[in-house]
Amino acid sequence: MRMLRSVAAVAVMAAAVAGCSGGSNDSAKPAGGFKISPDTPAAKGNVPSVTWSLYAEPQTLDYLYAWDFPINTVLANVCEQFLRTTPDMKIEPGLAASYTNPDPLTWVYELRPGVTFHDGTPMTSADAVASLKRHMDPELASAWGTAFRNVASIDATGPLQVTIRLNKPDALLNSLLAASPGTVESAASIAKAGKDYGNPQGGVNCTGPYSLDKWTAGDSIVLAKNPNYWDPKLAPKNDRFKFVFIQDPAARVNALLSGSVDGGYTVPSNAYGRLLNSPQGKLYFGPGTGAYLLGVTNMQGPMGDPRTRQALSMAIDRPGLIKAAAGGYATDAKSLLPITAWGLAPDRAQGYYATLPPIGQDLAAARKLVTESGAANRKIVLATSVLAPEISVSSTAIQAAGKSIGLDIELKTVTPDAYTALFTDPEARKGIDLVVTNGYTNTPDPLEFYESFVTGAFANYGNYSNPEYDKLYDQAAATADAGARSDLTAKLQEIAARDLVSIPLFEQPSNLFMNKRITGATVSSAALYWPWAATVGAAG
Amino acid sequence: MSTLRIDREAADGAIVRRPGFGLLRALRQGPLFAGAAAVLVLLVLIAVFAPLIAPYDPDAVDLTATLAGSSSEHLLGADQSGRDILSRVIHGARTGLLGPLLVVGISTFLGIAIGVAAAWRGGWIDAMLSRSMDLIFAFPGMLVAILFVAVFGSGLTAPVIAMSVAYTPYVGRLVRSIAGQEKARPYIESYRVQGWSGWTICVRHLIPNITPTVLAQSAINFGYALMDLAALSYLGFGVQPPDSDWGSMINEGQAALLQDAMLPSFAPGLCIVVAVVAFGIVGEGIADRVAKRER
Repeated sequence: MRMLRSVAAVAVMAAAVAGCSGGSNDSAKPAGGFKISPDTPAAKGNVPSVTWSLYAEPQTLDYLYAWDFPINTVLANVCEQFLRTTPDMKIEPGLAASYTNPDPLTWVYELRPGVTFHDGTPMTSADAVASLKRHMDPELASAWGTAFRNVASIDATGPLQVTIRLNKPDALLNSLLAASPGTVESAASIAKAGKDYGNPQGGVNCTGPYSLDKWTAGDSIVLAKNPNYWDPKLAPKNDRFKFVFIQDPAARVNALLSGSVDGGYTVPSNAYGRLLNSPQGKLYFGPGTGAYLLGVTNMQGPMGDPRTRQALSMAIDRPGLIKAAAGGYATDAKSLLPITAWGLAPDRAQGYYATLPPIGQDLAAARKLVTESGAANRKIVLATSVLAPEISVSSTAIQAAGKSIGLDIELKTVTPDAYTALFTDPEARKGIDLVVTNGYTNTPDPLEFYESFVTGAFANYGNYSNPEYDKLYDQAAATADAGARSDLTAKLQEIAARDLVSIPLFEQPSNLFMNKRITGATVSSAALYWPWAATVGAAG
Repeated sequence: MSTLRIDREAADGAIVRRPGFGLLRALRQGPLFAGAAAVLVLLVLIAVFAPLIAPYDPDAVDLTATLAGSSSEHLLGADQSGRDILSRVIHGARTGLLGPLLVVGISTFLGIAIGVAAAWRGGWIDAMLSRSMDLIFAFPGMLVAILFVAVFGSGLTAPVIAMSVAYTPYVGRLVRSIAGQEKARPYIESYRVQGWSGWTICVRHLIPNITPTVLAQSAINFGYALMDLAALSYLGFGVQPPDSDWGSMINEGQAALLQDAMLPSFAPGLCIVVAVVAFGIVGEGIADRVAKRER
């Protein structure tokens, strides 16, 4: 499933990542001049506690709604999934030690024995089934509900065996079990907490290397080390991990520089210079799985005409945008996803990318297209926010680009919260034609992202509909072989690029700052699901 | 002007016309007052002639000049989108002054109407209007403005209406107080004895006589309103980008502080400070002058 985000963060790095050979562990120094690596130096010892900054407080810790940075950054260390996404963007066994696919419509998962929840109760297949079935409850309105649309049944076919039967082949579901859809929570805790599940009162009870110790609304979330964690490789190197919520970017940067917090993901791009030159710690860049995009949220308006989208795309000064909005720490985006997002078939990704048409600036051709589409006298509303310079500066530049080719683009500034709501609430999108956002995939399977443009998909914000695309998606989803599925996904990518269902802007690496006291967190976008906090320990 | 008053200097019984506020008299208020008045005149001229004096289109984006420092091309540098800061500051004077002007204009009009009605009629009308003003006082102006923006949408209109409502009681209370004192003066009684209607007396005599005091308060309010509206724009509730506005420019510019670029936020901030201080000095100066006259 594709996620569009209002945050200034997760990110990407296409050309940079090209040098990184798609998901390898090797560091790379791309043309942009900044080093990309999914890893930071391993911790040399334990530390008693770590304080970490989050740019916003999670609205909930219920995994049903875990599809944004703050919640995923926390939950990655508390709750686990059937499968795991590793820092180098591979899928490996998680709570499910193995799985089989005896026929295209059946997936059988063998859960790991001896795993206990934070309250000490053993994990069973009944817990796993109850956890997965919550996504299918329309009353709960899971953000991941569409992942289960082809599911006929989910059954506990043994004490530690779960069998998922499908109405039609859907290999993507298996990939998504390495993301929020595959989360396993204690069924008893879910029932006990009721409507309070996932909030500061009800909390969560999972199997991860940390348990939720204390959530002080508006202030912090404290995690405590799980002494009974099943995976010795990821036994926490710290006893207490505290997340503090610092919304203001300048305050967050100052907190990092002053040492009042030890580290943080998604630092604002306009602070790169200060953080890179700081003797207090180190700023790391890692491979991301997404790109900044100009999302079309209304295909029924002027932007519904592909010629208008093409014209606007041709009017955008991307190199200028990279300099102004990303401080130079980004690269041109040719597609909606960077090469690093193709963890499923990293060796083929470069080839897929090469077939895409180039994106360049051509104002004369763009003006001609605007004349042909008749969009010149129609107002186009672009939502923007001060949430991040990547959003606000890009919006201003896009408005200016539109003006230069005769498009009347009006900026509508909304609060950060309202901006986030654009991606969850169709009502909030009413009257909005465009939005600058960060799109990315949660798993190494890029089909998850391209599912967003299928007719009726949750994240199909503009209601794009193309029977050719839908048919191809169904074909890809039904293909279990990773290579063959990648080839079909590449065709979806070509259609998305041709139709400009979203307009690519630039690819930005993920980032992480840690002070000199600690080290060990991954810089990869996999931190959304990988228990990264467990590896954070003493730097010296 | 038909308003007459027996001045201390005219204690010999001669009836003299109440003095107005000529430019020369204003300048005699002191160098600080004169300087502040000059600043305000300059700001007004800048606002009026902004399109003529701004070196660039304030909305013109030049991504190659992002966060450019001061130079002959951009005297105050360029912001993150490469827009000329000087041009935006100059154009920002328009919204920076227009908003408070509307707020002060509306609140002064409503405040005079409510205050005079309360003072003139007294009784239950006075009680009702006074309690209504107390009620409005209970709600912070910014909160009311944010509420209005939530209902009517962001931009200049909703904050101006909200701030006008919020500022009206300040003027209304003052007017009620001084109108009550003025009503007790003999000349008002003499007009009543002559059979003039209350409406005529108020419009033609009472209100003109209290106007200098109200204007002094309004000048001070102008500075406060400017600050409030800039704060709303800073918070994203007021003038919307890309329109130039000092408050929203500070908001946009503060991100550049992390890149050691001060001017995008400092320049509009300085404009707000200068304008607010100037209006404050002028308002206080007028108030002092009124007080001296009253003595």
